[in-house]
Amino acid sequence: MSEFAIETSDLRKTYSDGADALRGLTLQVPAGSIFGFLGKNGAGKTTTIKVLLGMTHPTGGDARVFGLRATDPAASVAIRRRTGFVSEEKDLYDSMTVQEIIRFTAAFYPTWRADFETRYRRTFDLPADRKVKKLSHGMRTKLALLLALCRGADLLVLDEPLSGLDPASNEDVLQALVRHVADEGTTVFLSSHQLADIDQIADHVAVIDRGRTIVSGALDDIRDRHRRIQIVFDGDAPALSFRTPGIIRTRREGRVLTVFASGGADAIAAEARSANAVAVDVLPLTLKEIFLESVNASVHAEN
Amino acid sequence: MVWYKSWLDTRWRFLIGFAILLVLAAGVIVNYSVSATLLPGLANQPVDTSTTAGRLLAEMIQLEQTYRGFVWGQWWRQNLLQDATLFAVLLGSGGAISSSKGGLFTLSMPASRTDWLTARAATGLGEFFILAMVPSLLIPLLSPLIGQHYSVVDVFAHGLCIFVAAAVFYSLAFLLSTMFSDIWRPLLIAIAVACVIGYLEVIFQLNGVFKVMAARRYFESGSLPWLGLTSSAAVSVALLYGASVNVARKDF
Repeated sequence: MSEFAIETSDLRKTYSDGADALRGLTLQVPAGSIFGFLGKNGAGKTTTIKVLLGMTHPTGGDARVFGLRATDPAASVAIRRRTGFVSEEKDLYDSMTVQEIIRFTAAFYPTWRADFETRYRRTFDLPADRKVKKLSHGMRTKLALLLALCRGADLLVLDEPLSGLDPASNEDVLQALVRHVADEGTTVFLSSHQLADIDQIADHVAVIDRGRTIVSGALDDIRDRHRRIQIVFDGDAPALSFRTPGIIRTRREGRVLTVFASGGADAIAAEARSANAVAVDVLPLTLKEIFLESVNASVHAEN
Repeated sequence: MVWYKSWLDTRWRFLIGFAILLVLAAGVIVNYSVSATLLPGLANQPVDTSTTAGRLLAEMIQLEQTYRGFVWGQWWRQNLLQDATLFAVLLGSGGAISSSKGGLFTLSMPASRTDWLTARAATGLGEFFILAMVPSLLIPLLSPLIGQHYSVVDVFAHGLCIFVAAAVFYSLAFLLSTMFSDIWRPLLIAIAVACVIGYLEVIFQLNGVFKVMAARRYFESGSLPWLGLTSSAAVSVALLYGASVNVARKDF
């Protein structure tokens, strides 16, 4: 088995209206990881997922899941046989009851886990006889997650599974997910806007913006590398030009120059001290700050 | 389960169509029992055949002097022809993989687009075949009740013509459903196309799809309109192939 559950290389997608959804996206999702896939609305997250599952055809590059080419129709069926998917819209058959859609889905998967079905029906408290269209948003999300988790899948692809959930449902879903991964070693590819939740459960992340990867790697490494260097001067902060690579963005506000860096924080601090700074502090960044600064820098660079 | 999904998608249209056609087929028997007393008198009435309407009326009166002619004129050439066109379009609309409701869920299953499309096309065609054949069997079944006889062979021959020719409209609606995300546009466009074709065939006396459906040649001489049937089948296959190409390259 490949070291990576998902690999994309220079993946491109231009829709018929000329919109560039993916512009050379390169990703590597380690097998067995919980991979947070982050980006603003319209960054290309859903398009990436659709390409991986054979729902959308890329216009260039390569996408592989379990080492299989996602663009090959036969391989795509094999990929989906090993993949559980929850779409952003929690797209299900409204006319079926909960029981019917569970039976319907189970019939496609010889690996269907009846033990999980029992567990999650109880945990999520899903009413068997209720029509899917009558379910609340939270219930619908839980049902979609049950259908994905019980497939006995090697990979879970979850597109905004936590959007619109109340805090209690959010916690239920997160707990179920973490427990499932701990028990089964499934790879989870989780697209979300909920940075706090990703921060809580992911071990790898990628941030994408306008169809390109701008940050990617193990979350701990990313946290270790990214730093905010706060530099205070006697008078107004000068427009310093740093030689050290890795600077994402700088911001000057009165006497304070703030530098956001994806590496080389100590060297940047040393440069600042040699420029007569009166105080230099190197501070860690939260995932939210890393996300915002990286995306802002990407927008700035693009413009 | 791919087939089951196709059945779920079409079952109400099929079952409602089946019930309506059963009632209408039984209605032919009831109509004849009422008309039989009036028809001999009508045969002697002068009709102005210089207009299209007058010519059709005269032909109808002439046809209905026999039970077989009455059934052909009322059922095969009129009621079933129109209703079969409507139900062909209804069954073909909606497509295999909806772009809106449940489409992504369908596509996340381990089945190819071809599997979904084939199952949906075959299920709809199978249901339409039943609609074209089975309700009409009520006519030979009930005819003895009014002292008449109608051949089962005629039912199968006319049913075959209706099925093969109206499958063109089924296939057109099926193709249109791969181009539009809603059910209404394919439905309305296919019905509009059928109306235009029907109108042109009547006005210009063309040999088109509705002529094949009515199968006058079989009624008059007992031989099936093979050229029309073959052409209709070829058009249907081409439209269904177009649908499969559309679905294969479509982005959801």
